[in-house]
Amino acid sequence: MEGQTSQHGQIIEINVDVPERERSLGGNKICGEAPCGFADAATNSNDARERSASMRKLLMAVALCVVFMSIEVFGGIKANSLAILTDAAHLLSDVAAFAISLFSLWAAGWESNPRQSYGFFRVEILGALVSMQLIWLLAGILVYEAIVRLINETSEVNGFLMFLVAAFGLVVNIIMALVLGHDHGHGHGHGHDHHDHGMGHRHGSRITTDHHEEHPRGEHHDHCDEENPKTGHHHFLDKHHRTGEVLAEPLVDKPKFGPEQKKQQNINVRGAYLHVLGDSIQSIGVMIGGAIIWYKPEWKIVDLICTLIFSVIVLGTTFNMLRNILEVLMESTPREIDATKLEKGILEMEEVVAIHELHIWAITVGKVLLACHVKIQPEANADLVLDNVIDYIRREYNIIHVTIQIELRAQDVVLEATVLKLHLDDEFINELHDSVLSFAVLEKENAYGSVAINRTWDSSIGGKCRP
Amino acid sequence: MEKTKSFKYHTQESNLGLSTTDRRLAYVRQASYNQSQLQEPPHTPISIFPDESAKPFLSRSISNIDTISHHDKYFEKLSCFRALRSGNRQMKRLFLLISLNVAYSTAELAIGLFTGRVGLVSDAFHLTFGCGLLTFSMFAMAASRQKPDFAYTYGYKRLEVLSAFTNALFLLFMSFSLAVEALHAFIQDESEHKHYLIVSAVTNLLVNLIGVWFFRNYARINLVYRNPEDMNYHSVCLHVLADSIRSAGLILASWFLSLGVQNAEVLCLGIVSVAVFMLVMPLFKVTGGILLQMAPPSIPSSALSKCWRQIVSREDVTEVSQARFWELVPGHVVGSLSLQVKKGVDDRPILQFVHGLYHDLGVQDLTVQIDYD
Repeated sequence: MEGQTSQHGQIIEINVDVPERERSLGGNKICGEAPCGFADAATNSNDARERSASMRKLLMAVALCVVFMSIEVFGGIKANSLAILTDAAHLLSDVAAFAISLFSLWAAGWESNPRQSYGFFRVEILGALVSMQLIWLLAGILVYEAIVRLINETSEVNGFLMFLVAAFGLVVNIIMALVLGHDHGHGHGHGHDHHDHGMGHRHGSRITTDHHEEHPRGEHHDHCDEENPKTGHHHFLDKHHRTGEVLAEPLVDKPKFGPEQKKQQNINVRGAYLHVLGDSIQSIGVMIGGAIIWYKPEWKIVDLICTLIFSVIVLGTTFNMLRNILEVLMESTPREIDATKLEKGILEMEEVVAIHELHIWAITVGKVLLACHVKIQPEANADLVLDNVIDYIRREYNIIHVTIQIELRAQDVVLEATVLKLHLDDEFINELHDSVLSFAVLEKENAYGSVAINRTWDSSIGGKCRP
Repeated sequence: MEKTKSFKYHTQESNLGLSTTDRRLAYVRQASYNQSQLQEPPHTPISIFPDESAKPFLSRSISNIDTISHHDKYFEKLSCFRALRSGNRQMKRLFLLISLNVAYSTAELAIGLFTGRVGLVSDAFHLTFGCGLLTFSMFAMAASRQKPDFAYTYGYKRLEVLSAFTNALFLLFMSFSLAVEALHAFIQDESEHKHYLIVSAVTNLLVNLIGVWFFRNYARINLVYRNPEDMNYHSVCLHVLADSIRSAGLILASWFLSLGVQNAEVLCLGIVSVAVFMLVMPLFKVTGGILLQMAPPSIPSSALSKCWRQIVSREDVTEVSQARFWELVPGHVVGSLSLQVKKGVDDRPILQFVHGLYHDLGVQDLTVQIDYD
C-alpha cells in the first residue's frame, strides 16, 4: 500500500442499484428509507407504524397531562395557593414538551422534497434538542424558585402544602412515565447504563455482531447482543418486536443510549419520558424539602439544597440523550458502528487496495448512511468488488444507504505533474505541499492516499517536503 | 471584514489566508483540475480552515501517518484550552465578555441574596444562563479546530453551527418569556417598578454594549455566512444585542412609569419581545436549515437543475437520480449522485465532467455512482 504512487486517476463507480434489484424485496433498494424518495415498502410502513404508535402514546400522555393540569388549576384557584398554581405551570411545561415531541414525530413523516432531499427525519433530533433545552431551562427555573422561596422569609411557605402538591405531581408523573415508557408484552429492561462511560472506548469495544443473513432485508433490527462487557445482559430481539412497540425501561435507570437495536425507543418519546422522569425526580426533591420544612420550619435552606441536588440529578439524566443528539447533529459515526472494523473488513477483501474518505453518519437515530471511496486493483472486476463491498456492509452493519466510489489505481500522478510544470521556488512548493497535505489530511479517513502523496512529493522534488 | 483583520495571525507555513495566496491557489486548482483530479483541489479545503492559526494546523507528525488514537483525542481536547489562550481575537474578546458577565452576575446574585431582593436574583439567573450559553459558544470556537478523526469524520466544524443554533434558541425562549412577562404585567396590572432594578439594568446595558462593540462586524440581522465561525460570531453578537435591547426596554419602561404612562411595562416588554424575536428568527432558520440537512441555500436550485440537465444531455448517460446535497457548515457542501450509463462506456470522462460541473457550483465532496445499464 505504501508503494502506490498513483492518485485518483481512474475512477470507476458502480451504482448499487444493480445488485439490489436482484435481491431486494421490491422497490429500489439503494435507499431503503424514505430519504430516497422511493421507500422500500416494508421499511416505510414499519417507520410509519412505529411513528404512529409513538404518537399515540404521546397523545395519551398529553391528554392525561391536560386533565391533571386543569384539576390543579381549579384546585389552586379555589385554595388560592401559589404553590399549586406553580405546579400547574410545571405541568404546562410538560405539555409544551410533549407538543414539541408530537410535532417532531409528525413532521418526521413528511415527504422529502428537493429542498429537503433527505426527508425530514432530522426534525426529530432537533425537536428532542429543543425539549432537552426546555428541561434545562425548567431546572434553572426551579432552582430560582427555591431561592425565591428562601428569600421570601414569609410564613406562606407551607411545608405541608408543598409536600402534598409535590406528591400529587409525583403520582401524575409516574402515571405518565408508565404510559410513555412501558409497553405491555415485552419486558426487556435495559438498565445498567450508569456504568457505560465508554467515551474513550467506543470504537474498540462496541462490536456489533449481527447474524442476520437469514432474515429478510426489510427488517432492520436484527442486531444481536452488544458485546459491551459492562452491560452484562444480552438482548435478543424477536421479530415481532419490530412493529414499533418500545421496550420497557426501569423507572430510574437511564435509557440505553447505544441505539444499535432499532428497538430503541423513538428519540422523541424518549425525550418526553426524560421530561417526565425529571419532573418526578424534582417532585421527590420538593416533597423531601416540604416534609423537612413541615417538620422543622426553620430549616428553610434545606429546601434549596434539595432542589439543587435534584436538579443536578435531572440534568444528569439528560446527559446521555444530549450526547446522542449531539453526535447525530455533528454527523459523527454512530456508536453502534465500528468504523475501524468496517474498514478492516473491507480491506480484507481481495482486490481492494485502499479505502479513503469513509464517512458514516446518521440522519437520525437508527438510519445510517455511508459513503466512501474504494481503490481496487486495475485488473479487478469493479462490478464484482462493488457487489462484495456493498453486500458486506449491508450484511454486517445493516447500513442500507451506501454509496461506494470504486477507483482503480492508475498510472498518472496528478499533483506531482502539476507542480513540476509550474517550476516554482521551494518556498512556494513548501506552501503548496502544505496545502496539498492539508487537503489530503482532510480526507484522512484513511491514511493511504495521503502517504502516497507525500512519498510522491519526496521523490519528485528531491525530498524537500518531508512529512 | 474579520478576515482581513485577522491577517496578523497568518503565519507562513500554516494557513494560507485567502488574499495573498489566492491567485496562486486558483492557479493550482486550474491545473490540477485538468489532470482529472477528481477530489477537491487544494483550494477548497483551505476556505473552511479557520483564519486563526492558533494550532499549527498540521503538525505533520500526527496528521497523516497515524490515526488519532483516543488518548490523543483527549490531548487535543486539552490543547483546546491552550488554543483558547492563544486564540484569535474574537475568542479573546468573547472570553473577556464572558468573564465580565460572570463577575457581574455573581455580584448581582450575592447582592440580591443578601439584601433579599428577588428582582436582582432573577436578573442574575437570566444572566447566568446567558453566560452559560456564551461559554458554550466559546467552547465551540475552540473545539471546532480539531481535525477530523474516526469518530467525527467530517470534523468538528458543526459545533459552531450548533452553538449558533443554541444561542438562537435561547433568544427565542427569552423573547417568549418576555412576552409572558408582558402578559403577566398586563393581567396583574401592578406597576411594581423597583428602582434598584434600574441600576442593574443600566450596568447590564453597558456590559452588553461593550459586547456589541466587540462584535460589531456581525451586528446585522441577515448575514451572508462564508464560514462557520461567521455563524458563531453572529449568534454571539445577536445574543448580546438582544440582552441590551432587553435592558434598554426595562430602563425605558421604568422611565415611562415614572412619567406616569399607563401600561408602560406591558408596552415596552411587548416591543422588546417582538424585536428580539425578529432579530433572531433569520439566524434560527438558517442554522436550523443546516442542521436539518437542507439543500444548501447558497446554491440556487436553478443551478442544480441546470447541472442535471447538462449531465442528462450527454449521450451515454441514461439517467441521473438521487442527487442530494447538504451543507456541512456554511461553505462546505457535500453531495451524492447516481448515474446510469450505457454499458461499456468509459466512465472517466463522465466522472470528470460531473465532478467538474458540481465543483464549479461549490460542492466540495461529491460522490458519484455509476451504474452500467
